[in-house]
Amino acid sequence: MYSPYSALFKEHYWGGIPISLFALGSFAFYAAFAVYLLVYGSRAPKRALRFFGAASLLPLLVSLIMFTISVTKLGTVCKTCAGIYISSLLLAVAGVMAFLSSRDDAPGEPRAVIGAALPLIWLVSLGAISLMPALVYAGSVPDERPYLTKCGELKVPKIKNDEFIKVTTSRPIQPTLLFEDPLCPTCKAFHERLVGENIIEKLDIDLVLFPLDSECNWMLDQALHPGACIVSKAVLCGGVQARAVLEWAYEEQEFLSRAGKQGPNVLRAAIKQRWGDVMLKCVDDRKTETRLNNHLHFASDNNIPVSTPQMYLGTRRVCDEDTDLGLRFTLGQLAPEVLK
Amino acid sequence: MTQPFSPPPGAGVAASKLPAAGLAGLASGAVFVLGAVLAVRLWVSGAADRLSTPEAEKPKVAVADQSEVGYCTPQFKQVLERVLHSCGLAEGDSRRGCQPADVKTFASISDEDFNALFTPLKDRGAVVMFDEGEDKLDDQAKKLLEDKWFARRGARYFFVVARASKSGNQAKNRALSHRRANSVMIHLNEVANDPEIESKVGLLWLGNEFAQLSKDYCSWPSSRGDLKCDEEAINRSAFVSWVDCRL
Repeated sequence: MYSPYSALFKEHYWGGIPISLFALGSFAFYAAFAVYLLVYGSRAPKRALRFFGAASLLPLLVSLIMFTISVTKLGTVCKTCAGIYISSLLLAVAGVMAFLSSRDDAPGEPRAVIGAALPLIWLVSLGAISLMPALVYAGSVPDERPYLTKCGELKVPKIKNDEFIKVTTSRPIQPTLLFEDPLCPTCKAFHERLVGENIIEKLDIDLVLFPLDSECNWMLDQALHPGACIVSKAVLCGGVQARAVLEWAYEEQEFLSRAGKQGPNVLRAAIKQRWGDVMLKCVDDRKTETRLNNHLHFASDNNIPVSTPQMYLGTRRVCDEDTDLGLRFTLGQLAPEVLK
Repeated sequence: MTQPFSPPPGAGVAASKLPAAGLAGLASGAVFVLGAVLAVRLWVSGAADRLSTPEAEKPKVAVADQSEVGYCTPQFKQVLERVLHSCGLAEGDSRRGCQPADVKTFASISDEDFNALFTPLKDRGAVVMFDEGEDKLDDQAKKLLEDKWFARRGARYFFVVARASKSGNQAKNRALSHRRANSVMIHLNEVANDPEIESKVGLLWLGNEFAQLSKDYCSWPSSRGDLKCDEEAINRSAFVSWVDCRL
């Protein structure tokens, strides 16, 4: 699962600095502070208890923000994240209890008194300790740059006897070749990311359709995405509207995937309903089948891995992991103008 | 007389705990922070090791390529490769096609064995049939040829093996089978709109002197499936098929 909210400074460090490292540092501080209070026992200073009560709400606050993002933007919650949310909640409960206990004084056991500046020092310490794992991470991450260009190049840069599909964008500056399957969920996520991070508009995209459907793709024994051949033909028939058809396919991917499993006619009906008769005729045309076959032969001529999506900057293949976690770093190195 | 100072009960205990609690907090803080930092350092160095020393046995990833099916036996591929090299496909030679004498020479194979090589192509290919002494494609032949041509899928080469029946002399049949192969090529050129067609189509014409088809081949898909078929008729033909072998 890729989340754009999971790390910071992604353009400077491959994959960015995971935000969970800040949690790791801060929990180390809270654990140490808990030991401090524990040793004090019933004589713990009021200021310390109140500081702990107030500071323990910070992780809960951050967790609430991240949980809201997870649910509303990502639609899922990762296991590590859930662990941090629960820990934050428990910490906050403990903090509130500590705060409440600061009101009581045990008879015959006066509380220790500490200086007024100490909570400020603790707060600074909390900030510094929270940063430490992230700083160590940033200072020790391996240099990924030599590996960015080691995932191959196109052997045959032009499609024989045919043309790529031009995906229209507003400020195309970086020649890019994409192999995509309109019914592939990873392609959908990748496309949405390119759109969401405002990268796509700066890419000069040639699209090659590579449906993972054995109906037209001889490289598969069985269809991974049944119906992808028909939807790919619809994208081919889109002409100047190819991007709109592709984005429609991504938006309706769940429905189209179900339709694809029900049979080609269900899928044809869906295409006809959205794009009309002319599109359907084009989809069923022998020339479109030949064009799709040319796209598949282009993949075959270049011996690309049988997977989607795949991205080429110019003729250089971007490694799979670099189209995922390392995308911004990779673009920052290989095509920095795209991120400006 | 002054009253002696008496601290509140427990104050001494609290004061004595101050350094103990502070030290415990500091010490545990140091341990936890050091643990966190060491853990991060270990994770990162592990990642660096994996990056610089990738697994020797990487899981194999399927790579896109032309199709390769069961009938692509070494013997079959050997004959086809000889056809490719000898008939001008592989090197972009200006020479096009192979005549019977060439085929006999480079195939180094008996008539029966040559035909047997093509048996697995029964369903992939078809027999385009001609009238006696004619090289003109009728409408059914054209349709069948187009159907076969556009069902390319992952194949790289399209083979046309033209023949003539035993009627007439050898020279005449050699020329006739050559014209039949050319008719197929001309029609493909018209419908395919493929500038690279020359490098895809392998033309062989066998006249009536090599690898004649037996009557058994009448059961193969043909452009005249509904008409009477005998040994003479089935050899007035061109067998056409994509070949799903990596050559």
